[in-house]
Amino acid sequence: MKSRKRIAGIGFATIVVVALMVAALMTGGGTAAPKAPYYVGQAGYANKAKCGLGNKKKAHGTPIKIGTINMLIPGVDFTTIAKIVNAYFQCVNDNGGIHGRPIKYIQYTEQLNPAQQSTLAHKLIQSDKVVGIVGNTSFTECGTNWAYYKSKKFTVVGAGVQAECYGKPSFVESNMGPRYSNIGAAQALLKRHAKTLVVASPSTISAYADQGVLKLAKQHHVKGVRVPVTLPVTDANSIITHLYQLAGNGGGIILDFTPDTAPQLLNAAIAQGLVDKVKWGSSTPIAFSGMAKQFPQFDNKIFINNEFSNLTKNAPDSNLWRAVNKKYAPTVGFQAFGQMGYMDAKFATMALLKIKGPITAKSYNNSIRTLKDVKTDILCKPWYVGNLPYHIPNNTDITVTYNKGQVVLKDKCFQIAPVDNSIKQTRIWEKKYKLNTK
Amino acid sequence: MSSVVAFSVFGVDWEFLKPYIVLGLALGGVYALSGTGIVVLYKATGVLNLAFGAVGAAGALIAYWMVNHTSWPHWLAYTACVVFGGVVNLLYGVVFGPAFAKRDPLVKMMGTLALALILLGIMAWRAPAGGAFVRVLTLPSSSHYYTVFGARVNLTQILALAFAIALTVVTTLFLRYTGLGTAYRAIANDREITATLGVPVRRVEASAWLGSGLVCGAAGLLLADLYTSLDYTALTFLVISSLAAALIGRLESLWVTLAGGLLVGFVQSILTPYGSVTAYRAATPFVLSIIALLWMGRRRVVVFAPATP
Repeated sequence: MKSRKRIAGIGFATIVVVALMVAALMTGGGTAAPKAPYYVGQAGYANKAKCGLGNKKKAHGTPIKIGTINMLIPGVDFTTIAKIVNAYFQCVNDNGGIHGRPIKYIQYTEQLNPAQQSTLAHKLIQSDKVVGIVGNTSFTECGTNWAYYKSKKFTVVGAGVQAECYGKPSFVESNMGPRYSNIGAAQALLKRHAKTLVVASPSTISAYADQGVLKLAKQHHVKGVRVPVTLPVTDANSIITHLYQLAGNGGGIILDFTPDTAPQLLNAAIAQGLVDKVKWGSSTPIAFSGMAKQFPQFDNKIFINNEFSNLTKNAPDSNLWRAVNKKYAPTVGFQAFGQMGYMDAKFATMALLKIKGPITAKSYNNSIRTLKDVKTDILCKPWYVGNLPYHIPNNTDITVTYNKGQVVLKDKCFQIAPVDNSIKQTRIWEKKYKLNTK
Repeated sequence: MSSVVAFSVFGVDWEFLKPYIVLGLALGGVYALSGTGIVVLYKATGVLNLAFGAVGAAGALIAYWMVNHTSWPHWLAYTACVVFGGVVNLLYGVVFGPAFAKRDPLVKMMGTLALALILLGIMAWRAPAGGAFVRVLTLPSSSHYYTVFGARVNLTQILALAFAIALTVVTTLFLRYTGLGTAYRAIANDREITATLGVPVRRVEASAWLGSGLVCGAAGLLLADLYTSLDYTALTFLVISSLAAALIGRLESLWVTLAGGLLVGFVQSILTPYGSVTAYRAATPFVLSIIALLWMGRRRVVVFAPATP
């Protein structure tokens, strides 16, 4: 008995030692994202853009609660957006807060379970008593909760993915989502004479995200195919081979995946010798230098639709975003998700600062809906909300590619092709209500 | 010079199917390799090792760190991955094996699940994923390409398949013709009697843990390359495909395990171009396991390898 106890004790100690060895050995092996480079505007730190009041005074007092729900599943991590929203809010709190009061950001994650999504939305509004919801991103949460948010007269500022995010009044997104980003990528490939358009997205969103490309392909009389891909990807080589077979030599393949999944497919394309056989396109998420450095084989061969400005742009909001990212979320590399989070937080902060009386759910959400002509150098055109049945304020973008470890501009701001009636209608409203005239 | 065979299989041209056969067999080779490691360990100790994937993934992470953050030769990194698998398995087997020896197989299995979760936790803590950064571990053999039946295959894929077959052959011969192999089979039959006959049971079991762990490390290295991304969570749960191979082999027959692993990889890959079923490919290990179990259950009595009491 004693010897057994001794062996168990020695064994436990050995396990602890091994665990520490494992921990030590893994230190530095990509424990954190590479240090983000710091870019300063010509006039110095952050030019005209500032966090909230920008008075460098710590906020105090009763916090103003803002909430978020972000999807986190194997193969896709949307919490990055919330991390940057939180970073911006921390910057606001270090610069006077909202007329002296700090913002408290309550973050929840969900795993595509509608019951869970609904519960979290109820919890935020009824238990946590948030005045607003900012930074939501999910494959399905918009569809689950839009009616509840509408009943509570909440307008959620987030980064959308599914149709409801762009088709219901409860949401206004800083991004254009995969459907329109894929259309933008398809436009870039057609401009470069792609003979076919094959678009691959996660199966959860494919039916919505890829149909726009098929419509565009039909308009241009080229073969269009959509390929839903189940996440997580376990056999990237087979999938990329399938995409190539559908596209054929000289065809176009559009990858609509986040940085958690896209590298597998790009690596598989390299392994299968397909990089030069087709024209490659992608939606926004992989438009950052980390990917460019990892995949020099794709220099000037992949055309990424970027819903936002280039990550290295030297301009007030871009500089401030990078500064906030570096200071308050140093483990998060510079990427499009960061730009989304920054803008979501910035717009929410603007709405909060506009409120004259008590800051309540009613006053905040009313304030959000009054925003229009919000200029930011991160977007091609000014952002807006307005009292519309749905919102697609970000519908003009750029094309970028990789070049020597950097992301470089290929096509300047161009309008997303109006294959959908919703885009056509949105542009009519923009002119009618002067939503983005600047 | 090969002639073109022109026919289609359920609407997909044979020429289009060929690459999937090659890709599927390569991945299936690694499943078979892992399955063999699981079966040998089970036969010797009665433990179904759910930590197989996690140990391999952790070893691959260490290899990744050595390759990308030190100036040590790459062969040392790959060796470290394999040795790490052996050492961790051995330590677990030596410390917890005797304690769980007399427990039922479910308890023994849950112990390895704990190891898997601990390793996953350490990996997530020290090497968090996401944040726009992806780890990739590409073996030197992957830069050598060949054309096999019109399909492009790299040396790593060939090695994965060859290694699986070689391991099955070697292990079969080992179990049949060596003293240690005989001891494994004896323990699988009856641990107590084997101990009574003077066989150093604990040492034999420890060697099984070590051998299985070395296979684990090798499988982790190959999978990290074939998977095209060092996603340790995904690599950990690829043990499911290996378990399917082991189940098809009834946790007993190495050759059937080899065939099972190849079948899982092959079917998963070959279904890719069929639009109506491609979304369900991830279910292949489960479906094939169920079919195998039902097939075996067509007799009244289903015999699995008896667990070591």
